[in-house]
Amino acid sequence: MLKNKRILVAKPGLDGHDSGAKIIALALRDAGADVIYTGLRKTPDFIARIAIDEDVDAVGLSILSGSHVALLQQTRDSLREMGAEDMVIFVGGTIPPQDVETLKQGGAAAVFTSDMTIEDTINKVSSILK
Amino acid sequence: MNRRQIARGLTKTLNASVDEILASSDEPITSSAVRIGITGAPGAGKSSTIARLAAYRAKPTKQLAVLAIDPSSPLSGGSLLGDRIRMGELVENPDVYIRSLPSRGTNNGLCNNIPELINVLESHGFSEIILETVGVGQAEYAIRNQADIVILVMQPESGDTIQSMKAGVVEMADILLVNKDDLTGADKVCAELAEIAARGGRLEGWFPPVVRMCATNNKGVKSLSDAIDQTISWQAKHRDNELIAQQRRRYQLQSLLERRIDELLDEAAPSFLSTSLSKGFKTITARCLLDP
Repeated sequence: MLKNKRILVAKPGLDGHDSGAKIIALALRDAGADVIYTGLRKTPDFIARIAIDEDVDAVGLSILSGSHVALLQQTRDSLREMGAEDMVIFVGGTIPPQDVETLKQGGAAAVFTSDMTIEDTINKVSSILK
Repeated sequence: MNRRQIARGLTKTLNASVDEILASSDEPITSSAVRIGITGAPGAGKSSTIARLAAYRAKPTKQLAVLAIDPSSPLSGGSLLGDRIRMGELVENPDVYIRSLPSRGTNNGLCNNIPELINVLESHGFSEIILETVGVGQAEYAIRNQADIVILVMQPESGDTIQSMKAGVVEMADILLVNKDDLTGADKVCAELAEIAARGGRLEGWFPPVVRMCATNNKGVKSLSDAIDQTISWQAKHRDNELIAQQRRRYQLQSLLERRIDELLDEAAPSFLSTSLSKGFKTITARCLLDP
């Protein structure tokens, strides 16, 4: 489904755990994608640099800290500075329902919350990256 | 360096079919960069070692690229490329470029189209290229073909396994690196490796040095870098470069032929697999010859 697609799964900010990010990374791999994982507590600038060097088709930001709006904005700014304003960005994590629209307006191609199934998430990613 | 341009060139080459590779590159193989291969069992510390080594060796006048290969899943074709986790300190280094690569259909520790991927980096003027293999067992030693210098990374606990590795990956190393040398057993492993090294390496006349390192404490990186420089200067005097070029071309041809045969087997109708062995063999070899 995601054959030859390269996806960066990233953890911006100060979250303490990454089991959600790892579950998504494995599900993307099982759907055929090449998945790069950054590890915990990275800055938006660090994530953007990796996205450029790895020539990814999309960046998935996994955020549990509540700072999702600001971190999305900063990641987009960093990507724009590096000439990649066209990069597809997904946001996932503990996102309150009222913030979903804000994130979409802020440039998220899709927002994934904890009440969604893995299957829905992978299908959505696949349809956007087609 | 234009990172986006390099990155896109590598993606295009990684995904290229056999026909696309044949159509794109027909220059003779010229090696302008020193290729340093890092291999070893999973968990030995290959990525951590590269993080230290690349930071130590890269300069504005000597830019360095890292190709880090991880296995593709034989079930889904996807991969989880985790080498970045240990190489965080290199991300902001303007003189280092890192790319994670999936092994795809290649099962020898490297990945599809590796000679061509190296050529892409050489065309961008990198002076050194570090190749990190998939975590290897006993027999994945194709790296010797693509690297000028092969560094085998081991850890103290691997003492008992060295015996069984003797005839495979240990034999092809130009430098034997004992990482995590703060762990007990390091002295014993180094002594055992020194014995093996005293018999000589893969190139006649070269006796692989045994280097100790502790990558997480940044200890031993200078010794490793010095050992690399000594290997480079020894090779400059003693190595048969024409033979190396021939071996690399042979690898390139063999990889493309193997992939072509895979393609033909995939295309063949299921009934083909029920015919006799010799008939099946002849059918595939005949089709191989028919191809442009």
